[in-house]
Amino acid sequence: MTKLTTLTEAVASIPSGAHLALSGFAITRCTMAFTREVIRQRIKNLTISQCVGAMDADMLVGAGAVNRLIYGGGSLDRFGRLNCVNRGIEDGTLAVEEYSSLSVAFRYLAGALGIPFMPIRSLRGSDLMVHLKEKSGSNLSNITDPFTGEDWPVLKPLLPDVAIVQVQVADQEGNAWIMGPRWDNSEQVRSSQRTIVITERLVTDETIRQNPERTVIPGLFVSHVVELPFAAHPTSVYRAYDYDSEQIQAYVEATRTPEAFRAYLDQYVYNVKDHWEYLERVGGLKRLNSLQADPVLGY
Amino acid sequence: MDFDYTPSELMAVAGARELQDREVVAVGLGLPVVASFLAKQTHAPNMTILFELGVIDPQPMDQGVGLADPRVWYRANVLSSFVDILGDVLHRGRVDVGFLGGLEVDQFGNLNTSLIGDPKGKFRHMIGSGGANDIASCAKRTIIIMRHEERKLKKAISFITSPGFIAGGDSRAKVGLAGGPSRVITDKAIFGFHADTKQMMLISIHPGITLEDVLGTMGFSPVLPEQIPYTDPPTHEQVRIIREVIDPQRMYMGKD
Repeated sequence: MTKLTTLTEAVASIPSGAHLALSGFAITRCTMAFTREVIRQRIKNLTISQCVGAMDADMLVGAGAVNRLIYGGGSLDRFGRLNCVNRGIEDGTLAVEEYSSLSVAFRYLAGALGIPFMPIRSLRGSDLMVHLKEKSGSNLSNITDPFTGEDWPVLKPLLPDVAIVQVQVADQEGNAWIMGPRWDNSEQVRSSQRTIVITERLVTDETIRQNPERTVIPGLFVSHVVELPFAAHPTSVYRAYDYDSEQIQAYVEATRTPEAFRAYLDQYVYNVKDHWEYLERVGGLKRLNSLQADPVLGY
Repeated sequence: MDFDYTPSELMAVAGARELQDREVVAVGLGLPVVASFLAKQTHAPNMTILFELGVIDPQPMDQGVGLADPRVWYRANVLSSFVDILGDVLHRGRVDVGFLGGLEVDQFGNLNTSLIGDPKGKFRHMIGSGGANDIASCAKRTIIIMRHEERKLKKAISFITSPGFIAGGDSRAKVGLAGGPSRVITDKAIFGFHADTKQMMLISIHPGITLEDVLGTMGFSPVLPEQIPYTDPPTHEQVRIIREVIDPQRMYMGKD
């Protein structure tokens, strides 16, 4: 069954208030075209989760689309911090549940397996645990190991409504390959109610069937497939294209003040009709071609 | 001293010397990467390097801007996931050494990378944990590498992101954690931890630095043993490998 659709249609399937798991990690495989369309469609009150905070989450927070962020900390690597997320935490406008990377991964894993909670060694003795426990409706508790009598912190499963995953290759049913490291993406897909796959390249069912060991996301988890090249720009996609340093620097500069960020959103999101017009605005084919990955290096 | 080396190069070399052949090392970006690759290319060829997002034993040709840069994944043996690295390897107890940087460290080796300032008042949020809390909690030992400044080496920190010896003594064991920090390497000195109190203890001072320099630029008094030797300087070969092979573009070492 084909699940192939447009970005506009896929984004329109997301109601305001939904919990979305996003596939980005800092400045790589971020769901940027998706994020820009969510902002254009003015979807609001989202909960966002990911193991390491990335550019996709930061932009959604900066655009006022997010109420709650569940993450393990994060940055834009050497380019800078997550200025929009940090500002939201500092002025109290963003509710955060801040963990370590593995804690969030274990919450997804518990959700994926359908088990009631997940014990973890991390977080003990830290102020991350103190802050998490102080919050009402805490998703962190303690339990006595019935076999040894030891005390263990336990995490509640994380069950997002929709995972949005940027991949290199997928077929129209949503069977998808992720090349390179997958960080939390497999667990995000399996713990979410459904998944939207954004793929750089659409391939035939036969291509998938000839190489089934490469499939990371089985189509059975997927509700929508969108084929869109350079959909993670300005972040990188391993074996497809490099990050765009100039554009990420422009983003970091713009996120230093809310005023500058409003102008950024006008220029690259609101006053842009769609992804194709965005690609023209950031330099078009000439610029994008210069970002193409070397097939041996992968970047 | 018959040749020049920078404080960062000495820190990287001191970090490398802490690593042994066949150890499994979880590494954060920056100086820990240089120290780990240096160890691997000199005395520890069978060491395994891990990056939290799912990278085992990469052999980069180019320097990256962070763990999210495919440059640092190049020629890895395995590209997998958080659950595979931080779960199956680290949480399972197979990581010998965690190598961490920090914004603030206290006298018990607790690290803050989250909130700078007063958590109940005015504060700034930094980068949080990532895998640092997991590594500090689960590795058999951790090595902390950071600049030697009074605002970074503090008696008490405003937020514990990654636990060291918590409140000292047996407080780390009491919350169910083994391991703990073994070394803090700065640009002025190397510290260990007192066996009983778990307070930071001066182990060696870098060549050209005085005890007054060390103590006058930190926010607490470390335990002082009777004899404090100088840190061994880097060798020509170690400095050559750092400059020519590991970090020719000075992405990790800075310009100092």
